[in-house]
Amino acid sequence: MSIGTGLAVVFGVGAVTYLMRAGLILALAGRTLPPWFMKALRYVAPSVLAALVVSLVADPDQANTGLSLAEVAGLVVAGAVIWRVRNLMMALAAGMTAFWLVLAVA
Amino acid sequence: MIDAAPPDSAELRRVQRLAVTEIIPLFIPAIPFGFVLGLAIVESPMPDGIGLLTSPVIFAGAAQLALVTLVGTASVWAAIAAALVINSRHIMYSAAMAPVFAAQPRWFRRLGPFMLIDQVFALSTQYVDRHPDVFRRYYLTTGLLFYSGWSVVTAIGLYFGSFIPASWQLGYAPAVMFLGLVVLSIDRRPALIAAVVGASVCFATIALPNRAGLIVGALCGVIAGFLADRDPVA
Repeated sequence: MSIGTGLAVVFGVGAVTYLMRAGLILALAGRTLPPWFMKALRYVAPSVLAALVVSLVADPDQANTGLSLAEVAGLVVAGAVIWRVRNLMMALAAGMTAFWLVLAVA
Repeated sequence: MIDAAPPDSAELRRVQRLAVTEIIPLFIPAIPFGFVLGLAIVESPMPDGIGLLTSPVIFAGAAQLALVTLVGTASVWAAIAAALVINSRHIMYSAAMAPVFAAQPRWFRRLGPFMLIDQVFALSTQYVDRHPDVFRRYYLTTGLLFYSGWSVVTAIGLYFGSFIPASWQLGYAPAVMFLGLVVLSIDRRPALIAAVVGASVCFATIALPNRAGLIVGALCGVIAGFLADRDPVA
């Protein structure tokens, strides 16, 4: 990726992100978005983040769609840890440890 | 109830001290996240300097991580779309804060939203009924501390990332990080349904060009969560 493209991408995403955060505060002061839209926004985070996990581990460029045992093991362990203790740091450590252990054994 | 009298300087200093002590527990979990982001920048085909710039310019951890990891595997447009979809939840925060910001001076109405991240939003909602000067001092203190800390942590992750051997396969870490964020975002059953449908549809459509399956999965997940949510819309 060239410097020019990179700068355009970063500042472009930054500008749109700012507009999402500032839009209703600046331009639409006093007005609101339809309630169904606000309701739908609640489900953006769980949905897109879950799709992102799949997109990152199930690499379509690899012949076997890439879901390796080590990757699945890491996700299962990390998911269980964060469900119990709600701590990202511990989930990351546990997930990476499981991933490395299965990589070393398999 | 809105405070009637403007706060004196002692009160503002007290609010500022509170802001510092309250943002720290929320910043600590962001430290490993910033490290993972720094490492992801090293692995990304994006030039390191440009990747580092995402912290001060975009200032949205999950979207930055999606952007720098996806430019390596998907088209640039897919990476941009994913980052923006992730950030669209900020529209909710903007809507919630609009009445509060209406009482603020113009410079703050323009600058403040730049720092409207999950953590600052969550903390400053406690202060929405206080005097506008108190709210502003609290918001700015938490926001600016997080902003500067975040850029520093990303830079440290980037620096150390360049020494870590490829055999550690740290490119896997962002997936673990995102999974953690998924679990934390599931507060109710419809959110769980949104996550399961989003992941399943993305997997079923993984072969679509340009990682379009990511956006298709995300949209289906949002629709599923919306339909499962029994709250009346109006």
